[in-house]
Amino acid sequence: MNPEHELREALRREPAPEGFAARVLAQTRIPPIRVTPWWRRPATLALAAALLLTLMIPSEISNYRRREQQHGLEAKKQLMNALAITRVQLQQAQARVRRNTRHAL
Amino acid sequence: MKKAFLLLAAAIPALAQQNFDFKTLDKLGAKAKESTNITLDNNTLRLALGFLGDGENSLKSLAGKLKGIYVRSYEFDKPGQYNEADLAPLRAYVKSLQWTKIVDVKEQNETSEIYILGLPNDKLGGLAIISVEPMEVTVVFINGALDMSDIGKLSGNLGIPDLPSVTGGNGKKSGSKSGNSNKRDNDDKD
Repeated sequence: MNPEHELREALRREPAPEGFAARVLAQTRIPPIRVTPWWRRPATLALAAALLLTLMIPSEISNYRRREQQHGLEAKKQLMNALAITRVQLQQAQARVRRNTRHAL
Repeated sequence: MKKAFLLLAAAIPALAQQNFDFKTLDKLGAKAKESTNITLDNNTLRLALGFLGDGENSLKSLAGKLKGIYVRSYEFDKPGQYNEADLAPLRAYVKSLQWTKIVDVKEQNETSEIYILGLPNDKLGGLAIISVEPMEVTVVFINGALDMSDIGKLSGNLGIPDLPSVTGGNGKKSGSKSGNSNKRDNDDKD
Protein backbone atom coordinates (compact mmCIF):
# COMPACT_ATOMS: atom_id res chain seq x y z
CA MET A 1 0.00 0.00 0.00
CA ASN A 2 1.27 3.39 -0.89
CA PRO A 3 1.40 5.65 2.15
CA GLU A 4 0.68 8.66 0.09
CA HIS A 5 -2.41 7.02 -1.24
CA GLU A 6 -3.45 6.08 2.27
CA LEU A 7 -3.06 9.65 3.49
CA ARG A 8 -4.97 11.01 0.54
CA GLU A 9 -7.78 8.50 1.27
CA ALA A 10 -7.88 9.52 4.92
CA LEU A 11 -8.02 13.18 4.17
CA ARG A 12 -10.63 12.82 1.51
CA ARG A 13 -13.36 15.44 1.77
CA GLU A 14 -16.69 13.90 2.72
CA PRO A 15 -20.04 15.68 2.84
CA ALA A 16 -21.59 16.25 6.32
CA PRO A 17 -24.48 13.96 7.21
CA GLU A 18 -28.02 15.14 6.64
CA GLY A 19 -29.09 17.76 9.19
CA PHE A 20 -25.68 17.97 10.81
CA ALA A 21 -25.43 21.72 10.50
CA ALA A 22 -28.91 22.23 11.91
CA ARG A 23 -28.14 20.00 14.88
CA VAL A 24 -24.90 21.85 15.63
CA LEU A 25 -26.66 25.16 15.43
CA ALA A 26 -29.45 23.90 17.70
CA GLN A 27 -26.89 22.88 20.33
CA THR A 28 -25.16 26.20 20.26
CA ARG A 29 -28.31 28.36 20.36
CA ILE A 30 -28.45 30.65 23.45
CA PRO A 31 -31.82 30.40 25.20
CA PRO A 32 -33.74 33.63 25.22
CA ILE A 33 -33.45 35.65 28.44
CA ARG A 34 -36.72 35.51 30.46
CA VAL A 35 -37.58 38.86 31.95
CA THR A 36 -39.65 38.58 35.18
CA PRO A 37 -42.07 41.46 35.52
CA TRP A 38 -41.31 43.71 38.48
CA TRP A 39 -44.50 42.76 40.33
CA ARG A 40 -43.48 39.10 40.35
CA ARG A 41 -39.97 39.62 41.62
CA PRO A 42 -39.26 38.14 45.09
CA ALA A 43 -38.16 41.51 46.43
CA THR A 44 -41.43 43.11 45.34
CA LEU A 45 -43.45 40.28 46.84
CA ALA A 46 -41.53 40.51 50.12
CA LEU A 47 -42.08 44.25 50.22
CA ALA A 48 -45.81 43.80 49.55
CA ALA A 49 -46.06 41.18 52.33
CA ALA A 50 -44.24 43.48 54.74
CA LEU A 51 -46.54 46.35 53.83
CA LEU A 52 -49.62 44.19 54.31
CA LEU A 53 -48.38 43.04 57.72
CA THR A 54 -47.63 46.61 58.71
CA LEU A 55 -51.20 47.52 57.86
CA MET A 56 -52.76 44.42 59.45
CA ILE A 57 -50.88 44.33 62.77
CA PRO A 58 -52.20 47.61 64.20
CA SER A 59 -55.78 46.73 63.25
CA GLU A 60 -55.37 43.27 64.79
CA ILE A 61 -53.94 44.83 67.96
CA SER A 62 -56.85 47.22 68.12
CA ASN A 63 -59.32 44.34 67.60
CA TYR A 64 -57.61 42.37 70.36
CA ARG A 65 -57.80 45.35 72.71
CA ARG A 66 -61.48 45.86 71.90
CA ARG A 67 -62.23 42.19 72.57
CA GLU A 68 -60.28 42.32 75.85
CA GLN A 69 -62.23 45.40 76.89
CA GLN A 70 -65.53 43.69 76.09
CA HIS A 71 -64.50 40.64 78.12
CA GLY A 72 -63.37 42.88 80.97
CA LEU A 73 -66.60 44.86 81.05
CA GLU A 74 -68.61 41.64 80.89
CA ALA A 75 -66.55 40.21 83.77
CA LYS A 76 -67.08 43.38 85.79
CA LYS A 77 -70.83 43.20 85.20
CA GLN A 78 -70.84 39.57 86.31
CA LEU A 79 -68.84 40.48 89.42
CA MET A 80 -71.36 43.20 90.27
CA ASN A 81 -74.25 40.78 89.70
CA ALA A 82 -72.62 38.08 91.81
CA LEU A 83 -71.96 40.49 94.70
CA ALA A 84 -75.46 41.93 94.44
CA ILE A 85 -76.97 38.44 94.68
CA THR A 86 -74.66 37.66 97.62
CA ARG A 87 -75.82 40.82 99.35
CA VAL A 88 -79.48 39.93 98.85
CA GLN A 89 -78.91 36.40 100.17
CA LEU A 90 -77.02 37.66 103.22
CA GLN A 91 -79.75 40.21 103.94
CA GLN A 92 -82.42 37.54 103.59
CA ALA A 93 -80.58 35.20 105.94
CA GLN A 94 -80.10 38.06 108.38
CA ALA A 95 -83.84 38.88 108.23
CA ARG A 96 -84.78 35.23 108.76
CA VAL A 97 -82.45 34.99 111.76
CA ARG A 98 -84.00 38.15 113.22
CA ARG A 99 -87.54 36.88 112.70
CA ASN A 100 -86.71 33.51 114.21
CA THR A 101 -84.96 35.09 117.18
CA ARG A 102 -87.96 37.34 117.77
CA HIS A 103 -90.27 34.32 117.69
CA ALA A 104 -88.03 32.49 120.12
CA LEU A 105 -88.10 35.40 122.54
CA MET B 1 -42.01 14.88 109.00
CA LYS B 2 -44.58 16.39 111.34
CA LYS B 3 -44.30 19.67 109.46
CA ALA B 4 -44.88 17.87 106.20
CA PHE B 5 -48.06 16.30 107.57
CA LEU B 6 -49.24 19.68 108.82
CA LEU B 7 -48.60 21.25 105.44
CA LEU B 8 -50.39 18.40 103.72
CA ALA B 9 -53.34 18.71 106.09
CA ALA B 10 -53.52 22.43 105.39
CA ALA B 11 -53.21 21.91 101.67
CA ILE B 12 -55.93 19.26 101.33
CA PRO B 13 -58.89 21.61 101.91
CA ALA B 14 -57.38 24.21 99.60
CA LEU B 15 -56.88 21.65 96.87
CA ALA B 16 -60.27 20.09 97.39
CA GLN B 17 -61.86 23.53 97.22
CA GLN B 18 -60.93 23.85 93.60
CA ASN B 19 -62.42 20.51 92.78
CA PHE B 20 -66.10 21.10 93.28
CA ASP B 21 -67.82 20.83 89.96
CA PHE B 22 -70.57 23.43 89.88
CA LYS B 23 -72.06 21.70 86.88
CA THR B 24 -73.50 19.20 89.35
CA LEU B 25 -75.91 21.97 90.35
CA ASP B 26 -77.18 22.39 86.80
CA LYS B 27 -79.67 19.56 87.41
CA LEU B 28 -81.37 21.82 89.94
CA GLY B 29 -82.27 24.31 87.28
CA ALA B 30 -83.48 21.85 84.65
CA LYS B 31 -87.09 23.02 85.06
CA ALA B 32 -86.29 26.57 86.10
CA LYS B 33 -88.30 29.40 84.64
CA GLU B 34 -85.36 31.70 85.03
CA SER B 35 -81.80 31.05 85.99
CA THR B 36 -78.66 32.98 86.76
CA ASN B 37 -75.37 31.27 86.27
CA ILE B 38 -72.23 33.22 87.16
CA THR B 39 -68.78 31.68 87.16
CA LEU B 40 -65.93 34.00 87.93
CA ASP B 41 -62.70 32.08 88.23
CA ASN B 42 -59.44 33.65 89.30
CA ASN B 43 -58.50 34.87 85.82
CA THR B 44 -61.92 36.37 85.12
CA LEU B 45 -61.90 38.05 88.52
CA ARG B 46 -58.50 39.60 87.80
CA LEU B 47 -59.84 40.80 84.46
CA ALA B 48 -62.92 42.31 86.12
CA LEU B 49 -60.77 44.03 88.75
CA GLY B 50 -58.86 45.78 86.01
CA PHE B 51 -62.09 47.43 84.93
CA LEU B 52 -63.12 48.71 88.35
CA GLY B 53 -62.79 52.45 88.58
CA ASP B 54 -61.02 54.58 91.17
CA GLY B 55 -64.31 55.14 92.99
CA GLU B 56 -64.65 51.42 93.56
CA ASN B 57 -61.62 50.95 95.78
CA SER B 58 -63.43 49.17 98.62
CA LEU B 59 -64.89 46.75 96.14
CA LYS B 60 -61.48 46.35 94.53
CA SER B 61 -59.79 45.55 97.85
CA LEU B 62 -62.51 43.05 98.74
CA ALA B 63 -62.67 41.30 95.39
CA GLY B 64 -58.90 41.48 94.97
CA LYS B 65 -58.46 38.84 97.67
CA LEU B 66 -60.92 36.42 96.13
CA LYS B 67 -60.06 33.46 93.94
CA GLY B 68 -63.48 32.62 92.60
CA ILE B 69 -67.14 33.49 92.81
CA TYR B 70 -69.80 31.04 91.69
CA VAL B 71 -73.51 31.86 91.72
CA ARG B 72 -76.36 29.62 90.68
CA SER B 73 -79.87 30.96 91.12
CA TYR B 74 -82.98 29.27 89.81
CA GLU B 75 -86.56 30.44 89.90
CA PHE B 76 -89.47 28.12 89.23
CA ASP B 77 -93.06 28.54 88.14
CA LYS B 78 -94.49 26.47 90.93
CA PRO B 79 -93.29 24.59 94.00
CA GLY B 80 -91.82 21.10 93.70
CA GLN B 81 -90.02 21.62 90.41
CA TYR B 82 -86.59 20.84 91.75
CA ASN B 83 -85.09 18.09 93.79
CA GLU B 84 -83.42 19.32 96.93
CA ALA B 85 -81.25 16.22 96.86
CA ASP B 86 -79.38 17.90 93.99
CA LEU B 87 -77.91 20.23 96.61
CA ALA B 88 -76.48 17.27 98.51
CA PRO B 89 -73.11 17.23 96.67
CA LEU B 90 -72.48 20.85 97.61
CA ARG B 91 -73.54 20.31 101.21
CA ALA B 92 -71.38 17.20 101.41
CA TYR B 93 -68.50 19.09 99.87
CA VAL B 94 -68.55 21.96 102.38
CA LYS B 95 -69.03 19.51 105.23
CA SER B 96 -66.13 17.35 104.11
CA LEU B 97 -63.76 20.29 104.36
CA GLN B 98 -63.27 22.52 107.35
CA TRP B 99 -66.27 24.70 106.62
CA THR B 100 -68.45 25.73 109.51
CA LYS B 101 -72.16 26.28 109.25
CA ILE B 102 -72.72 29.63 110.98
CA VAL B 103 -76.34 30.17 109.97
CA ASP B 104 -79.04 27.56 109.53
CA VAL B 105 -82.50 29.10 109.59
CA LYS B 106 -85.64 27.24 108.68
CA GLU B 107 -88.79 29.22 108.19
CA GLN B 108 -91.82 27.27 106.96
CA ASN B 109 -90.58 25.97 103.60
CA GLU B 110 -87.62 28.29 103.39
CA THR B 111 -84.09 27.74 104.61
CA SER B 112 -80.94 29.80 104.64
CA GLU B 113 -77.59 28.22 105.30
CA ILE B 114 -74.32 30.09 105.52
CA TYR B 115 -71.01 28.29 105.70
CA ILE B 116 -67.59 29.82 106.23
CA LEU B 117 -64.13 28.38 105.97
CA GLY B 118 -62.32 29.57 109.09
CA LEU B 119 -58.64 30.35 108.95
CA PRO B 120 -56.27 31.48 111.72
CA ASN B 121 -56.32 35.13 112.85
CA ASP B 122 -60.04 35.60 112.31
CA LYS B 123 -59.60 35.24 108.58
CA LEU B 124 -61.93 33.36 106.33
CA GLY B 125 -61.04 31.20 103.37
CA GLY B 126 -64.47 31.30 101.82
CA LEU B 127 -68.18 31.83 102.14
CA ALA B 128 -71.03 29.67 100.92
CA ILE B 129 -74.71 30.50 100.99
CA ILE B 130 -77.47 28.05 100.20
CA SER B 131 -80.92 29.53 100.12
CA VAL B 132 -83.88 27.28 99.43
CA GLU B 133 -87.44 28.43 98.91
CA PRO B 134 -90.35 26.53 97.37
CA MET B 135 -89.96 28.37 94.09
CA GLU B 136 -86.39 29.52 94.23
CA VAL B 137 -82.96 28.09 94.95
CA THR B 138 -79.82 30.18 95.20
CA VAL B 139 -76.27 29.04 95.79
CA VAL B 140 -73.41 31.47 96.28
CA PHE B 141 -69.89 30.15 96.68
CA ILE B 142 -67.04 32.56 97.29
CA ASN B 143 -63.55 31.20 97.43
CA GLY B 144 -60.69 33.32 98.73
CA ALA B 145 -59.49 35.31 101.69
CA LEU B 146 -62.08 37.38 103.52
CA ASP B 147 -62.13 39.26 106.78
CA MET B 148 -65.08 39.05 109.13
CA SER B 149 -65.68 42.69 108.30
CA ASP B 150 -65.92 41.78 104.62
CA ILE B 151 -69.07 39.77 105.35
CA GLY B 152 -70.62 42.94 106.74
CA LYS B 153 -69.41 44.85 103.70
CA LEU B 154 -70.86 42.22 101.41
CA SER B 155 -74.28 42.54 103.02
CA GLY B 156 -74.01 46.33 102.79
CA ASN B 157 -73.91 48.40 99.67
CA LEU B 158 -70.19 48.50 98.80
CA GLY B 159 -71.03 50.75 95.89
CA ILE B 160 -72.64 47.85 94.04
CA PRO B 161 -75.74 49.06 92.27
CA ASP B 162 -78.95 47.24 93.11
CA LEU B 163 -80.07 44.80 90.52
CA PRO B 164 -83.72 45.64 89.94
CA SER B 165 -84.26 42.14 88.65
CA VAL B 166 -82.98 40.66 91.89
CA THR B 167 -83.79 43.16 94.56
CA GLY B 168 -86.67 45.14 93.15
CA GLY B 169 -84.50 48.13 93.98
CA ASN B 170 -85.22 47.94 97.69
CA GLY B 171 -83.54 44.78 98.78
CA LYS B 172 -86.62 42.62 98.18
CA LYS B 173 -86.74 40.04 95.47
CA SER B 174 -89.08 40.71 92.64
CA GLY B 175 -88.63 37.34 90.99
CA SER B 176 -87.92 38.64 87.53
CA LYS B 177 -84.51 37.21 87.06
CA SER B 178 -83.45 36.42 83.57
CA GLY B 179 -82.60 33.13 81.96
CA ASN B 180 -78.89 33.42 82.41
CA SER B 181 -76.26 35.97 83.16
CA ASN B 182 -75.97 36.93 79.52
CA LYS B 183 -79.68 37.32 79.18
CA ARG B 184 -79.68 39.36 82.35
CA ASP B 185 -77.06 41.59 80.80
CA ASN B 186 -79.24 42.03 77.78
CA ASP B 187 -82.18 42.90 80.00
CA ASP B 188 -80.04 45.45 81.77
CA LYS B 189 -79.19 47.10 78.49
CA ASP B 190 -82.86 47.40 77.54
